[in-house]
Amino acid sequence: MTPEQWQKVDEVFQGALDRAPHDRESFLDEACEGNAALRSEADSLISAHDKAGDFIEQPAVTEDARVLVDALDHNIGRDLGAYTILERLGAGGMGEVYLAQDRRLNRRVALKILPALFASDHMRLRRFQREAQAASALNHPNILTIHEVGEHEGVWFIATEFIDGQTVRDLIEQAALPLAEILDIAEQVASALATAHAAGIVHRDIKPENIMKRSDGLVKILDFGIVKLLERPANDFERATAHVTQSHTEFGEVMGTAGYMSPEQARGLVVDERTDIWSLGVVLYEMVSRRAPFSGATRMDTMVAILERDPEPLHSHVSESRELQLIQLVIDKSLGKERQERYQTAGEMLAQLTLVREELKGAPSIGSSIEPRKSLSAASSFRRLLPVFVVALVLAAAIAVVFLYKDSTSRAPANSTASAVNKRYLEMTETEQLAYISAQEQRISAMMGDRPAKLNEDALRSIKSYVDHYVARSQNKTDGVDTVSETLTRGRAHAPLIAREFKARKVPVIIGLYLAMIESAFRPCAESSSGARGLYQFVPETARNYGLSHSEMCNVDKMTPAAAAYIADHMAELGDDAESMTLVLLSYNRGSTWVRGTLRELRQTEDYQRNFWMLFAHRDKLDEGFRRESAGYVPSFFAAAIVGENPEAFGIQMPALSTFAR
Amino acid sequence: MTTQAKLNENNLTGLLTEWREGDKSALDKLTPIVYDELRRIAHRYVRRERDGHTLATTALVNEAYLRLAGFQKFTWENRSHFFAVSAQVMRHILIDYARRSQFAKRGGGLQRVSLEGAAIDAVLMSPTRAAELIALDEALDELAKMDPRKSDVVQLRYFGGLTLEETAEVLQVSLMTVRRDWRAARAWLYKSVNSE
Repeated sequence: MTPEQWQKVDEVFQGALDRAPHDRESFLDEACEGNAALRSEADSLISAHDKAGDFIEQPAVTEDARVLVDALDHNIGRDLGAYTILERLGAGGMGEVYLAQDRRLNRRVALKILPALFASDHMRLRRFQREAQAASALNHPNILTIHEVGEHEGVWFIATEFIDGQTVRDLIEQAALPLAEILDIAEQVASALATAHAAGIVHRDIKPENIMKRSDGLVKILDFGIVKLLERPANDFERATAHVTQSHTEFGEVMGTAGYMSPEQARGLVVDERTDIWSLGVVLYEMVSRRAPFSGATRMDTMVAILERDPEPLHSHVSESRELQLIQLVIDKSLGKERQERYQTAGEMLAQLTLVREELKGAPSIGSSIEPRKSLSAASSFRRLLPVFVVALVLAAAIAVVFLYKDSTSRAPANSTASAVNKRYLEMTETEQLAYISAQEQRISAMMGDRPAKLNEDALRSIKSYVDHYVARSQNKTDGVDTVSETLTRGRAHAPLIAREFKARKVPVIIGLYLAMIESAFRPCAESSSGARGLYQFVPETARNYGLSHSEMCNVDKMTPAAAAYIADHMAELGDDAESMTLVLLSYNRGSTWVRGTLRELRQTEDYQRNFWMLFAHRDKLDEGFRRESAGYVPSFFAAAIVGENPEAFGIQMPALSTFAR
Repeated sequence: MTTQAKLNENNLTGLLTEWREGDKSALDKLTPIVYDELRRIAHRYVRRERDGHTLATTALVNEAYLRLAGFQKFTWENRSHFFAVSAQVMRHILIDYARRSQFAKRGGGLQRVSLEGAAIDAVLMSPTRAAELIALDEALDELAKMDPRKSDVVQLRYFGGLTLEETAEVLQVSLMTVRRDWRAARAWLYKSVNSE
């Protein structure tokens, strides 16, 4: 049965059950008139309903608790290929870890059993095998040896050497480590990294949990090369939980454990071996001070610290000494916010660690060979852009309002500029369209305070698909969603009303007006309007916020002032600055629980400006969803600017259209 | 070797928050913790039963949640996500075990070897029950193709042990919608499972 056919059957089924038994027959006759297949499906479904009794009414677990206990422990004593599982060691990000006996070679191994959900994702599995093979080729005493990546009766596992020892995390927690031991561990790790990097393998998740020390002092790095590939959800898991996670899984992936991430990792950029050097610097800092150099109440706070702050000097945690100063120099060099400020290779770092250790033993002074600390100022240049951005945003809002009022009183056709540009866009060749989008994108980036970057073709094409969708929608009202001109017209009609709500709450009108206009276009009249996934799932919450019933949400005249009042209240609560506005703007356009949740959390913190920057730093990721959803049902700043519908609103000088003329 | 996922306040809340904030890797880390917790509680259930107490109908998942949630005030998102993950994990465990039970009956190995080496028999799911669960699982996949939300409702209710109200909350739909979804899904699944 197709989803459409099923929907019809479901409708008839529900309709019949909603009626008294003696009315069903006539209802069915009428509802299925001339459609025997539908009638038969509906009849059999109703009959199943009547016969189902208590079928699946009790949760599965009530029946299966005993079996479940066994199911959960079923691996102990089990044979997996040549391995007999002896004991459960723990569970990690990559599934369960067991101690097992390799019966062929009569040795003990650590066996990681991959989650079945992972194993059912063939693409991921193949990539994983490839990567694990590359990693298993690494032959270095400080890298955990991978014996085998195998499969037995559909269960995938990795057999590695078994280390009887403690993780660096355990060591740090137990007692303060002598500096000599710390240097020894760091050197062994750096040495392993140098070998791996030479083979083109980056670990990406160096942290105290992934470094083990055997009782004989030998250090091993765990999970080389496989971490990154494993730490992604399997597809069916995503599908299964899509209803509640939809808006979150769309964001860019930021891998790794927050506190050990390099700035480039935190920003979701491409990483190279210098990310491992950063992370080793963090581990070194933590081994000495027994504190995380970068931390915060939330993951975002931690990432902000990574991007913007220099850690407190070691001597604020442990007593000052010459040795400490030397280690501090190595840490500073490893923790350069910009990659080129760090050691460029693990070998360089290793050499300096060795020098420090020799110095510790009383070898010749090495002070001169270690570079003095450079000022770390990546964040400050970012901060310098703040005023530019604020000015641009306020200006944009101001111009938008002027434009809005001017236009509402003028007799010019409401949407002539838009139509002209849209039409022009449609007439361009594909190459011209891409060039146009690239130019617009760079303007917006510059205006937003980003360094204008030239987008690669993939990125341009992806933006193009949004623009195409948007332009097509401005041309024809095909999907039941309002056209841009309809939205603008309605916005204008409601502008005075919205302005009143804002004034009454002493919120600058210019800031909230655009938001309220957008909101007035949001009419959640049905739970399943086409193209309206996303925001519509928040209807109950939004209706509650606005103090409206579900049906009132469909009424623009009720909805608009309620939205305006609600937004105005939020603005008043948040403060009337441009950051707040941007957050609200993002949250309303994005329709994301993530942004909303952040907003809620921010309200509880005194210093939300840092968090704002975190959001802003990830603008590229936000924008993808932002644009996509915008193209679906609201004319956003972005889509509008890209299409060139309303460039004046951005204070942007449009390029002469002749530039694109044939 | 201690790669043990330590179940502590920061860990779990952090992972849920990370997941909510868009960190996909948090889900992978979350799953074993849910497994651990389910295992612990299932053990306790069986012990309680042996002591002469009847098994309460409270779902394991709910109990797991309550224990975990006791750590700190959970946001709505955390709670829903936890339910969604738990229901999925639960379904997976049971179906996997049903398959193994069938395989064992057909002469495959589900023999357990104790640490001393003596073979002991594993508790198997009854063949009827195993067949029922597997048929249900397959039917649920079919349903998901036509109507994913109804399939989610069943997963949350039947495998996750959620009430109608909780299901409505997790899926962000009205209680009425869940009721209607449930009756249609139940009828369709009943028909599908019994026609095979």
